[in-house]
Amino acid sequence: MLPACSSKRALPAALGLLSSWLCACSGSGVGLDSNGQPLSGSSSGGTVPLSADFDAIQANVFTPICSVCHIGATAPEGLMLDAAHSYNLLVNVPSTEVPSILRVKPGDPTNSYIIQKLEGHAAVGAQMPLGETPLPASTIAFIVQWITNGALPGASASAMAATFRVSSMAPEDGAVLAAPPARIIVGFTRELDATRADTTTVRLERIAGEAGDESATAVALEPSVPAGNPRALLLTPRSTLMAGRYQLVLSGQAGAQISALDGATLSAPPADANGDRIIARFIVAETP
Amino acid sequence: MKTQRLLFALACLVLGSTRVAFAEPYLAVQQGYKCVACHINPTGGGLRNTFGLVFAENTMPASTLPANAPVWLGQVLQDIVRVGGDLRTDWSRTTVPQSPTQQQFALEQFRMYADVSVIPNLLGLYVDEQVAPGGAQTMEAYARYGDTSNWYLKAGHFYLPFGWRLQDQTAFVRTVTGINMTTPDTGVEFGVERANWSGQLDVTNGAANVGTGSGYQVTGNLVHVQSIWRVGVSSAFTQSDTGNRSMYGLYAGVRTGPIAWLAEGDLVRQAGYPNGTRTMIPALIEANWAFRKGNNLKLTYEYSDPERSVPNNAQTRWSAVYELTPIPFLQARAGFRRYQGIPQNALQNETFGFIELHVFL
Repeated sequence: MLPACSSKRALPAALGLLSSWLCACSGSGVGLDSNGQPLSGSSSGGTVPLSADFDAIQANVFTPICSVCHIGATAPEGLMLDAAHSYNLLVNVPSTEVPSILRVKPGDPTNSYIIQKLEGHAAVGAQMPLGETPLPASTIAFIVQWITNGALPGASASAMAATFRVSSMAPEDGAVLAAPPARIIVGFTRELDATRADTTTVRLERIAGEAGDESATAVALEPSVPAGNPRALLLTPRSTLMAGRYQLVLSGQAGAQISALDGATLSAPPADANGDRIIARFIVAETP
Repeated sequence: MKTQRLLFALACLVLGSTRVAFAEPYLAVQQGYKCVACHINPTGGGLRNTFGLVFAENTMPASTLPANAPVWLGQVLQDIVRVGGDLRTDWSRTTVPQSPTQQQFALEQFRMYADVSVIPNLLGLYVDEQVAPGGAQTMEAYARYGDTSNWYLKAGHFYLPFGWRLQDQTAFVRTVTGINMTTPDTGVEFGVERANWSGQLDVTNGAANVGTGSGYQVTGNLVHVQSIWRVGVSSAFTQSDTGNRSMYGLYAGVRTGPIAWLAEGDLVRQAGYPNGTRTMIPALIEANWAFRKGNNLKLTYEYSDPERSVPNNAQTRWSAVYELTPIPFLQARAGFRRYQGIPQNALQNETFGFIELHVFL
């Protein structure tokens, strides 16, 4: 919105049509957070100087710049970079465009796909942000330093850990996907006990039939907890998912439950009569 | 050589003025030409045609080649295959508040162009390949049917027509609309050229729909050209699972003595944000002062309202760029850009300076 100008200038009458542009000043930022959003209802929580800390990078780069496109069920390459998803979808997760390269490889920025994309020398596709001003080298340098330092989660991740629960899903619950996902990623608020991440504790089921008369068929998949990102659970289907409806289930069976490293069991979402927790349903659409 | 001299004489006769620089739409405004006068691509940019090269060799630079020097006209096979290229390398310095100043040498782009006139004035193939930096990337690759001086049909991968096709891809009007020379799209384009009119209608996938297998974009552009002024309108609609986008643009140019003025204002409405539809308004006004042959001073003011419903969030950018074209095909540029935005976001308040070497064929 055009703010009031602090100084007035006389403009040639011939440029009257353009006078509002010439008079337009930059915004004062009053009442806004660092992302230019009103402080009330803001998701970023105010100003955070850019530094080599994940929360600072999230607030200054991922949220205001990247998540303009990388958000929602159809985020490019399935990469959602809003605060709820970004860490778990970045760190030690293979890139979609070049699966042999991790999006963020802790300690190794050169071989982190996000740096290759930001610097514009990735093997596939255009420099990010797509069609926008490339990030300043100084900004990329902070991301490089964060990765060099081990790509640790920010303080916000620790703040989330009061309870052990699912914090993010990709694909999101209710998503309708135009193409089958290469992998499913579940984010948790605490570090996982990797020894409990197996096919007895987590299932992907393909649903057939109508409501009230549904049947579920387990889909073969390979669960893993990526090194360096112990709050994420990667589920890689052993074959390409067919078109259809799917649900992701965390087992509630005694002795076969996913748990945090400190032994805590999930507090949410609620369990069904069998003790199972359906944490997401999504649809893979028919290919035209 | 006789043909080349004739072309040179023709260029001088038609162009008249020598107060020009090159490769940007202000040049067309200064001369009263349409884009197709100098470029193979009827919507401008990329490979130059014979007229464009003669213009670049003889009218743009401060010093021209000796009369008997070989002249590059881009043709590998006479009237069949034409090639060209564009290299930009620079030193830049970026200062962001609360961050260390960064400075570096960089190869900004090295592009190769080629056009094959399979059947002259009826069927052609065109490619614009970025070979560096990074991996090779096809920016444009399309087949063209028809006569670009009358009507034509493009099919393939190409830049969309919307507003001014500026050389500066970081201008607000180009980044906010998302239509610029870094975001080609795939589909078809129908174009019409008349004496004082140019029009295009495009149906494409939409850049936001890459990899989704759904959605589409319709883009339209119409411009009326007179000798000292022109005005154009553009519109685009994108259907996308990530949120529909509609855009409207109004742009104009006028020549006042040695100064060519460009202006553009756009309205962009993008759905799909967590808080609903966002309305954005980017605008630009630019003055190009060709004060001596081979010298151009470009002053630009830009404004961007990133969300109309939110007060106090506007961003502005001032740019001053000096362009010197001492000899044909070589240009040196030096510039300074000052971004101003909300004080709590350092990235919206950076300053950027650069010195660039630009070589083109």
